[in-house]
Amino acid sequence: MTASPTSSSVPASDSEAPVRKPRLGVFKFASCDGCQLSLLDLEDELLAVAGAIDIAYFPEARTAMLPGPYDLSLVEGSISSPEQLEQVQEVRRQSRFLVTIGACATAGGIQALRNWADSAEYLRAVYARPEYIRTLETSTPIAAHVRVDFELRGCPISKEQLLEVITAFAVGRRPNVKDESVCLECKRRGTVCVVVARGMPCLGPVTHAGCGALCPAYDRGCYGCFGPRERANTGSLAGRFREGGAGEPELVRLFRGFTGYAEAFRKESEAHEPQ
Amino acid sequence: MEVEVKAEAKEDARSTVRAIDRDGLERLLGLLREEGYRTIGPTVRDGAIVYDEIESVRDLPAGWKDEQAPGRYRLVRRPDDALFGHVVGPISWKAFLFRPRETLTAAARGEGGALEFRRAPFEPERAAFIGVRSCDLAAIAVQDTVFTGGPYVEPRYAALRRAAFIVAVNCLESGALCFCASMGTGPRARRGFDLALTEIEGRFTVEAGSDAGRRLLERLGAEEARAEDAARVEEGTARCAASMAKRMDPAGLPELLLGNLDHPRWDEVAARCLACANCTMVCPTCFCSTVEETSDLTGSSAGRVRVWGSCFTEEHGKVHGGSYRPEIKDRYRQWLTHKLASWVPQFGTSGCVGCGRCIAWCPVGIDITEEVAAIRASPGPVPDVQGLPLAPVPSPLPAPRAPAASSVEEDLVPRPAAVTAAVRETPDTVTLHVRPPQGFSFRPGQFNMLSLPGVGEVPISISGWDGTAVEHTIRAVGPVTRQLAALRPGQELGMRGPYGSSWPVDEAKGCPAWVVAGGLGLAPLRPLVRELIGRPEDFPEVRLIGGSRTPGDILFVREILGWIGRRNLQTHLTVDRAGPDWRGSIGVVTQLLDDASIEGVYFVCGPEIMMRFAVRRILEAGVPPQRVYVSMERNMKCAAGFCGCCQYGPLFVCKDGPVFRYDSVAYLFERSGF
Repeated sequence: MTASPTSSSVPASDSEAPVRKPRLGVFKFASCDGCQLSLLDLEDELLAVAGAIDIAYFPEARTAMLPGPYDLSLVEGSISSPEQLEQVQEVRRQSRFLVTIGACATAGGIQALRNWADSAEYLRAVYARPEYIRTLETSTPIAAHVRVDFELRGCPISKEQLLEVITAFAVGRRPNVKDESVCLECKRRGTVCVVVARGMPCLGPVTHAGCGALCPAYDRGCYGCFGPRERANTGSLAGRFREGGAGEPELVRLFRGFTGYAEAFRKESEAHEPQ
Repeated sequence: MEVEVKAEAKEDARSTVRAIDRDGLERLLGLLREEGYRTIGPTVRDGAIVYDEIESVRDLPAGWKDEQAPGRYRLVRRPDDALFGHVVGPISWKAFLFRPRETLTAAARGEGGALEFRRAPFEPERAAFIGVRSCDLAAIAVQDTVFTGGPYVEPRYAALRRAAFIVAVNCLESGALCFCASMGTGPRARRGFDLALTEIEGRFTVEAGSDAGRRLLERLGAEEARAEDAARVEEGTARCAASMAKRMDPAGLPELLLGNLDHPRWDEVAARCLACANCTMVCPTCFCSTVEETSDLTGSSAGRVRVWGSCFTEEHGKVHGGSYRPEIKDRYRQWLTHKLASWVPQFGTSGCVGCGRCIAWCPVGIDITEEVAAIRASPGPVPDVQGLPLAPVPSPLPAPRAPAASSVEEDLVPRPAAVTAAVRETPDTVTLHVRPPQGFSFRPGQFNMLSLPGVGEVPISISGWDGTAVEHTIRAVGPVTRQLAALRPGQELGMRGPYGSSWPVDEAKGCPAWVVAGGLGLAPLRPLVRELIGRPEDFPEVRLIGGSRTPGDILFVREILGWIGRRNLQTHLTVDRAGPDWRGSIGVVTQLLDDASIEGVYFVCGPEIMMRFAVRRILEAGVPPQRVYVSMERNMKCAAGFCGCCQYGPLFVCKDGPVFRYDSVAYLFERSGF
């Protein structure tokens, strides 16, 4: 993982530069497109966004693809194939400020489950003609390959947070995206803790906030979609779930979800694998 | 601003004890609603008893009981259908007084870039709190002190608090995690309520604790309680207190905890602690907050929103360049020492009311009473509590620590101020001259909060006064400072202040005055130097010692050169590295302190590591710590003592500091993690 999002900063808008709208590029690697579609989901704010920035490259939204460089690039997806290794370097070269969006781009995504398996075996099992498939052994986050200026977490990302990142970039402030536990969001909205009151396993205490504590509000434990927060004490939390009756295979599954390849979760799930 | 009026009127009211049944309680709720109160009370939701709007007695948790253990809470059926047969749940009354999210200010950028700031609209709702337990009455009193005890009053809290009507309930059964009896906060509600109920076998005794309560009781027209009912209230609450299994010995906690800052127990608890912040969220007294800057895409309309924060987040201790409390151990120790130790000198009481919420709602069941007991069982070898500021911190400095009576409302609204000049000091540092709002005056060492709507707000020390404008020397290191440093004459920024304590100039009268600056630390010292050298009869011997990274980083070069020849000033500059044409010293500032005068008064400001070495050298020379002053930096959101982010042990850097006499911070100064 790269530096935590809060330690990076958005460059101030350069008052010397001629007034022109910042150019936005939206790129994807191995992913489901759900995160970049959050931009279109903005509906009410979309016109304002299009008014404030020049959407120069966004295959999901416009047919013309304008060449770089881009002031702000939103990068979705993980690096999963040999071509992507090249492409991501080019995206970096063309981008002044590069923001990765979503669990795939920031942690390798659910497809990173193959990092614990034999990918050749997967290919044989899944594809009739595996020789047509060119893939890497692993699915890895963008930051494993190029410098990333800011990471926006989530599976999918929150459209409100995406708007905040774009706004913060346009105005020149640090995005208000807090690296703190989901628990703070639960408590601020008055949701009763499902760990304490229901005995459910919930990754909220070790997971990066941003979803607004969605799952606990619907009586489910947090799946960790936003990945580990800083100082994620996963070992202590796993110990608590073990006391509550969770077996080792369950603990592996719990930490090995959408962001399972993020370092803190990866190490924790590996600690519960059979020796 | 007096919000604590209810307590006074209380004692003489005990005579009026009435008795009502469940219908009477229904009538009471109806009267409150008729008087315009939103009635909020305990109700079952999501497997817990929470506080939420109740419309009728039917919404109360009849027949439910909460079984609690560390990290565990379950609702179970009671053998009876008591309405208040539970204790406290995950929500405390602070959610309705110090609300989780509050918009503070709104700002707009008009034609031509003119700024406009205003206080966000605020409608204090009138709420009646039904079922406030004695521990929570104490917690409300604690937050009254935090937010209205001065020198500043938080206007939103004060308004909600004044509008609230409090119906307490006496506890006759203790919860497994309750320890109010040891903290002296319960279970008998004795003050701070308008009405207090005791539920005995389906009926309620009601006593009034305020004029508003008495008036309501009159309207209710209830019958006088029988003498034995009144007696059963005392007996029942006493029995409850005696049955309380959980205990915490509050004796000498400040000395115990602050004297054992290196106890191995902190490492043990840190291995379990998730730093998830749940304890601080459920704690009815925890008051820390952070501020979010919001704006539209163009930045033309912006706002600042206060949200609940926590000392368990990294952000709480963060300034540019890193966090003062990076480790979980630092954060847990900060929380516990604040709650049980630093709180005492800050606010005159413990920050713990013994409600047990932090124990129940800790996902891993960390028990505050066990943590304290463990440290008490094996205190460090010789707890050195000498010099700990355990009594309410005396203020040797002319700090704005006014008594509550003369408190001022601080609504945190900046005022627009225009830049009159921008002087580049070094490649990354600019001095802005800003025409302040009318009536502005400051003392050397104080700071202002400077802001740009949509971008953010930062504390910046005052580096001078040019006759018409206040000077701020700003290094462009983050988004806010970068944009502030790029301002041009005629442009506006937001300003509020000044805040904080100042250099006690007159302490140095007739003594050698040593001004020791590292890097940007010279900025808040410059107005001091100007005053010292401008009064040669009072300060015959001033020595300025300044350290910088390189000669190009030295601030105020022109002015410093202009001081050459002043008969009461000697200037010594040193740099970490320099080219061959540099004629000053090379090396750290401490080498220029070898001849530190024992009669001198020292004013020190710079990076914390530089101040540590400098102060060490000064003290080694035999200078008493009372003659040394330092200026501290911490995260600051409000500058008025509300947000809690700038705490340094028992001190708030914003209102007790930033300038401290060294002996008041000595015991933390050599430590990290605070």
